[in-house]
Amino acid sequence: MNITLDIPWNRYALIAELAKRLDAISPQFGKTALQKLVFLLQEVYKIDCGYDFELYSYGPFDSQLLGDLDLVEHWGCVSVQPMNALFGGYKICPTDKVDLVREKAVNFLDAHKTKKAIDNLISTYGALTARDLELRATTVYVERNLRLKGESPTKSEVFRFVRQIKPKFTPEKIEQTIDELSERKHIQLAVQENRGNDQNNSDIG
Amino acid sequence: MTRIYEIRDPIHGFVTINEWERDIINHPVFQRLRRIRQLSLTDMVYPGAMHNRFEHSLGVMHVATRMFDHIREKRLEFLKSQISFTEGGLEKDRMIVRLASLLHDVGHAPLSHAAEGLMDKDPITGKSYKHEHYSAAAVSFLMEDIIENHPLNQNYNIKAKDIADFLKGEISLGRCRLWRNLISSQLDADRADYLLRDSHHIGVAYGHYDLNRLLATLRVAINPETDLPVLAVEEGGEHVVEALIIARYMMFTQVYFQHTRRAYDFHSVQAIRQLLAEQQKGSNLTNKNAFPPPISKENMEDYLKWDDWRVLGLISNGKAGEHGRILMERKHYRTIFETPEIPSPADLEFAKEIERALGDNVGFVDCASSSWYKFETADIPMLLRPGQNDEQLTTLSMRSSVVSGLKAVERTRIYVPMEKKEEARKLVADKRKEKEKMQ
Repeated sequence: MNITLDIPWNRYALIAELAKRLDAISPQFGKTALQKLVFLLQEVYKIDCGYDFELYSYGPFDSQLLGDLDLVEHWGCVSVQPMNALFGGYKICPTDKVDLVREKAVNFLDAHKTKKAIDNLISTYGALTARDLELRATTVYVERNLRLKGESPTKSEVFRFVRQIKPKFTPEKIEQTIDELSERKHIQLAVQENRGNDQNNSDIG
Repeated sequence: MTRIYEIRDPIHGFVTINEWERDIINHPVFQRLRRIRQLSLTDMVYPGAMHNRFEHSLGVMHVATRMFDHIREKRLEFLKSQISFTEGGLEKDRMIVRLASLLHDVGHAPLSHAAEGLMDKDPITGKSYKHEHYSAAAVSFLMEDIIENHPLNQNYNIKAKDIADFLKGEISLGRCRLWRNLISSQLDADRADYLLRDSHHIGVAYGHYDLNRLLATLRVAINPETDLPVLAVEEGGEHVVEALIIARYMMFTQVYFQHTRRAYDFHSVQAIRQLLAEQQKGSNLTNKNAFPPPISKENMEDYLKWDDWRVLGLISNGKAGEHGRILMERKHYRTIFETPEIPSPADLEFAKEIERALGDNVGFVDCASSSWYKFETADIPMLLRPGQNDEQLTTLSMRSSVVSGLKAVERTRIYVPMEKKEEARKLVADKRKEKEKMQ
């Protein structure tokens, strides 16, 4: 409860901005992709969006972000349409009113730091499927989580947890994703000791 | 032979416990829940809301166990063949579920959720601690002996850390993560209990739904998208789940978000903040205006000394300043403006305009927000044709137009001190007229 009213225009505008810019790029910009992209924007690109992500079955998730999306949809700035009749899947599209909410946070969206971060986010992750984003966001979440506990996680430690949380991904795919994120410096891995290396490598399928 | 005890419960009839659970219940950490009201000062609006976290915690353990038992009974072969459970593994997990659900609220602050805003920030994550962190810390630091060294634990070898990790939802939970859905999901035993219990005590019918039907339709399945086991509802349970979600929506909009109740949350927090500052003046805490962070045994012992009796006693003794006086005299701040539940940008801007015009007369601004249904990531799985060769998993939101139509509520309200109410209401009326003229 606040003493003053702080309307989170930045959060609403970010949803509109992503819908607008990803419309032609993303294979399916839906609710899962939105969660993972905003998580990466916050964790990797250090744009404070004010969300508090927790680990759910499809990776990092914050229900406040869904609430914000409801509001932006209610205002007619984006449309949210179901795509798959059996197991979920939505597509978020910009409407002709998308700039209505964008205009409320121009200072935030056009600030050099935010603009650069969103550009990088979109060029690096914008074209990925929700499934690929889920794996990347989960890997970043695991690495951050271990680091917050004071650990300097090795590749095999991150691998072990991601494999446990996401058994649907092949070991090769997980390893490849960890390497990719590490090369981009989106996660930091400790160098493994030789003895541990041998043991751990056998874990990485 | 293990002795079984029965505790009378207004919602579930009898809650049965064994000697180990009885000893845990008798532990001071759990007994403190008798002195933590379930709904803070909601009795200022609904006089019957005097129940506490003690009875709710027993109820959650009871419901979580019934959920677990129904699932095991209906899907035993599936649990064994698809998720590699053994009878021994299931028995151990059942006990972990019982203890974790029993202890899930032991870390609540005085006056429950209201004071959660006074929990310190974790310097590492930069995020505020939540009552779940305190519950896990209370289990780890103060209940290790009663959990690990009880004779009945020889059958299970459960560690306090198992319970703490379960409460925190640690990534290391592995297969046990499935059962965590019983205390933390859209179908969990926590809300299954509090909706019925709060309705009962308050005297409203908004939170009612058919618990027995819900239990009878619970299943476990494999989510084809994640390859992970999930808690699901068979298709015949679609409408009872809708009823549960609508019950929660109704309870929030009609009770928990009731405007006067929200004002008392504000006053409680202000009063407790003052008490913390006063009582912790000589302590070593970095932030003396917040509860001690849940990082050590000493901190947890200090934290758990804070309960409703202590807070209300200090308020009664005039130690909580202006907000304490407001609580004693029921002279809460009054609502003079509120947006619709789903505001438009213009509504929000008008709220801001009113706030500016009121200036120093603003008591506080409240944004009551919640989503009624978590789509996609946390969507409730529905199992079609359970047990048949062509059984299939879908999601509730794909089947239910009721659920897919529920939108998040984000209602903003502006409050002023009681004596400023008339003046402020006139100002709002004038502003509305101005706005209408401009349109």
